[in-house]
Amino acid sequence: MSAIDPEIAGQLASDLPREDFVRIVRTFEDDLGRLARLLESAVAAGDEDGYRRAAHSLAGAAAAVGARRLEQVARIAMDHRNTTDPRLLAPQVRLEAEAALAELAALAEHPPGSR
Amino acid sequence: MAAAAARILIVEDTPTQAEVARALLRDLGHEIRLAESGAAALDLALSWHPDAILMDLELPDFSGFEAMRRLRSQGVEAAIIVVTAHGSVNHAVEAMREGAVDFIVKPYAKARLKVTLQNALEKRALATELREVKAQLSRDHYLGFIGASPAMQAVYRTIESVAASKANVFITGESGTGKELAAEAVHRASPRRSRPFLALNCAAIPRDLLESEIFGHVKGAFTGATENRPGAAKLADGGTLFLDEIGEMPLEMQVKLLRFVQTGSFQPVGASRPEKVDVRIVSATNRDPWLEVEAGRFREDLYYRLYVVPVEMPPLRDRGADVLLIARHFLAAFAREEGKHFRGFAREAEQALAAYSWPGNVRQLQNVVRNIVVLHAGARVERSMLPPMLLRSATRPAAASLPAAEREEPETLAEPPAPAPEWAWVPPPEPAVAAPAAPWLPPAGPDPFLPLAEVEKRYILAALDHTSHDVPRAAAMLGVNPSTIYRKLQSWRAEETSARP
Repeated sequence: MSAIDPEIAGQLASDLPREDFVRIVRTFEDDLGRLARLLESAVAAGDEDGYRRAAHSLAGAAAAVGARRLEQVARIAMDHRNTTDPRLLAPQVRLEAEAALAELAALAEHPPGSR
Repeated sequence: MAAAAARILIVEDTPTQAEVARALLRDLGHEIRLAESGAAALDLALSWHPDAILMDLELPDFSGFEAMRRLRSQGVEAAIIVVTAHGSVNHAVEAMREGAVDFIVKPYAKARLKVTLQNALEKRALATELREVKAQLSRDHYLGFIGASPAMQAVYRTIESVAASKANVFITGESGTGKELAAEAVHRASPRRSRPFLALNCAAIPRDLLESEIFGHVKGAFTGATENRPGAAKLADGGTLFLDEIGEMPLEMQVKLLRFVQTGSFQPVGASRPEKVDVRIVSATNRDPWLEVEAGRFREDLYYRLYVVPVEMPPLRDRGADVLLIARHFLAAFAREEGKHFRGFAREAEQALAAYSWPGNVRQLQNVVRNIVVLHAGARVERSMLPPMLLRSATRPAAASLPAAEREEPETLAEPPAPAPEWAWVPPPEPAVAAPAAPWLPPAGPDPFLPLAEVEKRYILAALDHTSHDVPRAAAMLGVNPSTIYRKLQSWRAEETSARP
């Protein structure tokens, strides 16, 4: 399974001028760095609220660009019923974030169709 | 509306989502602002007045629901579209109960956002239009008029519709219904509002001077023309010329006016060259203009030129509750002017005002209220303060509610009702006063010298007679305060009463 949903990300890439799509990818990259740090420090501090807030924001950012796998992991993390150890989920979030970013960067480089 | 650029406020605290929304909206040509919290959204909505708000439900300070409640309570009327994640459609439904017009599920494509936004903006435009129409239908004042009756709403609508054009307007209505006010309203609502509004009363100007008053004259044109003098047509260039009592215009003058209306050019008296101006003409008469045409007193060709947009001013008896609206307005204004403390009318006084038929229309009502304010004091106008005529008629149903056949007033405008049978004091018949042809001269006769008080009385009565009992106008003509005339009338009435056996 690809890290990003080609339908959502591809639609975005084809809906917008390339420079706008690139700006979105950069914003996403900044978001991921900031939110992953927040999530990791919340895990380290045992701050459950902070952990879920960061996970919620990550899910929203991921959904906006079609980073489906990352969104799924973030949604598990933000779910109150979830019993998975946050210390196991945090590295997974980091992993999926990197995969999504790599695929988005490739998409920005070679957007579908032409505008 | 939907096709034009709109102001869109994005309320979103996740930068990636905000950037996606911003990029898509910018690509659709809209103007965009971003608020990253509920509080920032409130501030921006109040200061920037967006057309639509894209509202995320999860905000760092408070929920999107709370943000919507606060926005609505602050009077923000923007179309709110809730942006929701998968699985939270229930939230969206709840948001719509809070006043959102639609919702959109993340992630969304440009086409979906475009349609959702377009629908929301159209809904908002329709709601705004509906509110404006409702407000127009229930206006209780408009450009100087006071009145919420259906008859006046029709007048307001006609004036609004015609204001933007250059079409000539013809105002009809009984004396005292506000024809000049209507003419001014046409001017004030028009693009000419910053240019002059000139009013001429054709009945008040001697026929020999009428042409000079309208078109001006050059030096030496006639005896007494010692210098060039522009007429009303020239002075109103770019604006509006109001010809009141146009039915009184002599036929030979009507020919010259017709030429002016047809060509926009005129020749000042004694001038050798014509001048051209851009003037909109508003005419008025208290007669039926077509009957005047049929009687041969008004030129048919001029009638067609001037009677382009008719505005009929309704008599006060046909304006229902407007009587009380206007009475309260005058009461407040005159109380302020006279330093009195009246705050309103007692219920019985209001009933009497509403039941009276007001043959002298708004002008008569104005005079009655001023008379009360000048002669009485207190916080409320009591029934006993009203002129006897109103109290007599108050036992009858209001004229407006009677079948036409039972009314005292004539149904057509061809024969206007007699001037207000003056409420406060009916002067005894005096031969000298009954000579309206020369009301300003001392009475001719074998004994031209009268006591000064008698001369004063006769002059005041003659001025009242000349102005159809319009006290403020009579006072202006005599150079005194209207209160002076009211007090004189009061004292003469007291004298009359005490002199009776």
